[in-house]
Amino acid sequence: MLECRNCGAGAPVDEHFCPQCSRILALGRHGDYFSFLGLPRTLVIDANDLERRFRDLSRKFHPDYFYNASPTERLASLERSSYLNDAYRALRNPVSRIEHLLAIEGLPSAKSEEATAKVPPSLLEEVFALNEELDEIRDLRESGADPERLRARLEQARAPIEAKREEHERQLQELSARWDAQLAPSGVEGENASAEDKRATLDALRERLLERNYINNLLASIEREMTAVPHG
Amino acid sequence: MGKVVGIDLGTTNSLVAYVENGRPIVIRDDSGDALVPSVVSVGEDGTIFVGREAQRRLLTAPSRSVYSVKRFMGRGIEDVHGEAALLPFRVSGDPGGVVRIGIADREFTPPEISAFVLRELKRRAEEHFQKSGEFDFEVDRAVITVPAYFNDAQRTATRDAGRLAGLEVLRIINEPTAASLAYGLDKRNRGTIAVYDLGGGTFDISILRVEDGVFQVLSTNGDTHLGGDDIDRLLVEIVLEQTGQKELAAIETIRRAAIQAKWDLSDVEETEIRIEPSGAVPAGYRKRITRAEFERLIRPLIDRTLDPCRQALADAGLEAKDIDEAVLVGGSTRIPLVRQVVEELFGREPHSELNPDEVVALGAAVQADILISGRREMLLLDVTPLSLGIETMGGVVSKIIMRNSTIPASGREMFTTGVDNQTGVDIHVVQGERELVVDNRSLAHLHLQGIPPMVAGLPRIEVRFQIDANGILSVAARELRTEIEQTIEVKPSYGLTDQEVERMLIESFEHAEADFEARLLIEARNEAESVIQATEKVLRRAQIDGAAPELLEPGERERIETAVAELKAVMGGNARAPIQDRTHALNHATQHLAEATMNRTVREALAGRNVKDV
Repeated sequence: MLECRNCGAGAPVDEHFCPQCSRILALGRHGDYFSFLGLPRTLVIDANDLERRFRDLSRKFHPDYFYNASPTERLASLERSSYLNDAYRALRNPVSRIEHLLAIEGLPSAKSEEATAKVPPSLLEEVFALNEELDEIRDLRESGADPERLRARLEQARAPIEAKREEHERQLQELSARWDAQLAPSGVEGENASAEDKRATLDALRERLLERNYINNLLASIEREMTAVPHG
Repeated sequence: MGKVVGIDLGTTNSLVAYVENGRPIVIRDDSGDALVPSVVSVGEDGTIFVGREAQRRLLTAPSRSVYSVKRFMGRGIEDVHGEAALLPFRVSGDPGGVVRIGIADREFTPPEISAFVLRELKRRAEEHFQKSGEFDFEVDRAVITVPAYFNDAQRTATRDAGRLAGLEVLRIINEPTAASLAYGLDKRNRGTIAVYDLGGGTFDISILRVEDGVFQVLSTNGDTHLGGDDIDRLLVEIVLEQTGQKELAAIETIRRAAIQAKWDLSDVEETEIRIEPSGAVPAGYRKRITRAEFERLIRPLIDRTLDPCRQALADAGLEAKDIDEAVLVGGSTRIPLVRQVVEELFGREPHSELNPDEVVALGAAVQADILISGRREMLLLDVTPLSLGIETMGGVVSKIIMRNSTIPASGREMFTTGVDNQTGVDIHVVQGERELVVDNRSLAHLHLQGIPPMVAGLPRIEVRFQIDANGILSVAARELRTEIEQTIEVKPSYGLTDQEVERMLIESFEHAEADFEARLLIEARNEAESVIQATEKVLRRAQIDGAAPELLEPGERERIETAVAELKAVMGGNARAPIQDRTHALNHATQHLAEATMNRTVREALAGRNVKDV
């Protein structure tokens, strides 16, 4: 519950304005971007709907419209606008949307340093092969090998990783759809979706995200080597 | 409560506008001139001159006059070494501190110089309101614009300037966004817009989406040291090389001639840089220059605007073909090459229906009106141009708020202590996109105090960074176990502390403004100046085109030139009456030419229509 600093009335945590005196409410400790925007915790989002909600709420909160209000209301407007902007930014992008869902569902971050430090087991083989290939290409480059050939080898090394990334994007989409179905109260899977099933989906999503971050790092290291190869 | 205005505080010119009956209007002086040159000059007796009069004094008292001070706002001496060389005024400052500008025995910070310009605009607006019969004509609040790519220090310096000028700064808004507000007054507009703003000293590109009256900036980029000044400098350097001149007065005379030639080349294919023999340049100087030569010279400068444009598109997740409209802002977009480059980039002819010099002030006035009226038809959602971060181990930056985040924006970071009973923590805040602290802009050193004594590593201090709708940062910190708020001491890297601003405010009252008669004299000179300029422009055009001899009757040119010379002879004097008399005489002498020119323009316009109709 939130308490209105103007009239003292109580308000549900997702309310933006006091139900009693209709003043803007202080933000308090809000943590759920979905509910803030009035959305269910689904991963497939209609982009136009999100934009519309963002614009509508901006028109309600923006500090421009509280210029003559009391300091308390001005602060509330600033905090709510900042939070709205954060929420919009996080939910607009599918990957940060999943990251936010994992966070509010209580899973450890997929971005922390421990999480990204070790190679995901499913990628061990690719990582090993790529590192060897990159070492070799680096040696060849330093001994002045034909840049055209080096570039061709890098392209060749990139292909399987790119394929892996595309596969991951597909899996993320599938898992997102599964999550949404498990969340739906009357969905086919939803009826039987237990807490364990849902947890399994979230774990799988987190696993894919970790791998995805790692794949992006691998692609970045190929790109770095590509720019190091002399031109012409 | 007094009046509210919108101010475009430009590198070269500044202007002020307000909203009347829902429409933004630029405030002009009696001769119809809206632009106040952003030039400040200090007289021998300490009198402060601003605008046209100060611009004239650039020729007669170059070492006591300052221009382009916007380039120094919120910057350190190490940033500006290169460009200070060709400027007539003294630029100094301690390493890692604010730039100081020396005039005779006095020193000013850039916000103080800008405050003189703002005060002049405030005065001009108040005079306007008083003349139109307003009872409460005092101007006490303003929206002031800055380049979108200005960092926190540059924005804060602008806000300080406003305070020093006796204005409550309602909001700092970005110039390209302001321009889009002025263009988007028709609220049914929707689509994706690119605003290309090349001014006297700065370049900005902003990509916006407009829908339901919400102007949402998707991305912005730019260069705060790229503009018309740099183009002028290229021309000046050519002349300096050929004449071997070094004196301040000569440089200023050459700069004037270069600017005139630049302006000419926006209208005609060929002109000359022409300097009449005078004390500053005894031999005089003439050099023909074609538009093609000029374009070859400035091409590298104009090309420097392209990378920021591409980066802004990429950050918005768009391609050039996704842009529905491109809009031109800033005086330098009058240059045909600039228009051509923008058209090539976005694949469509850019808009320039509104005067590129005035459109930003109009937008600022609209925003000021939104703020005080609370009207909700339009809303501007801008972004922060640069990422905000803090220094971590090894001089690496940890980013807290990413660039192009919609503002207001906030970010949090957790800190703890390294030794037992530690009660303070130091945090270095930077702005920029690079990995290492040294490659970014240092904003401030924060010192958190009042952490409850605990075992090392136990305190959980949450530091909250808040960028407000002005794009300006504030910081708060709280230890979460005890819920105790920490006080934060802020040492801005390139800014003034609150105490310094207060002291300057008091000083500015002591240096009272010039008296009423001096003001009238200045206005008479301004009037004279603008009549001379208009006259010379028409005469020049007639000469360069060779197309207008039929406009002049025999002996008319001579009569006009005599009247100009007579006016020039008295203009520098301190008596107002002769200036006004001879201005009147010049007006009389040019009456026939003015009518003839106007008739020709009308004829041409009609002729143009006939061709189209056929």
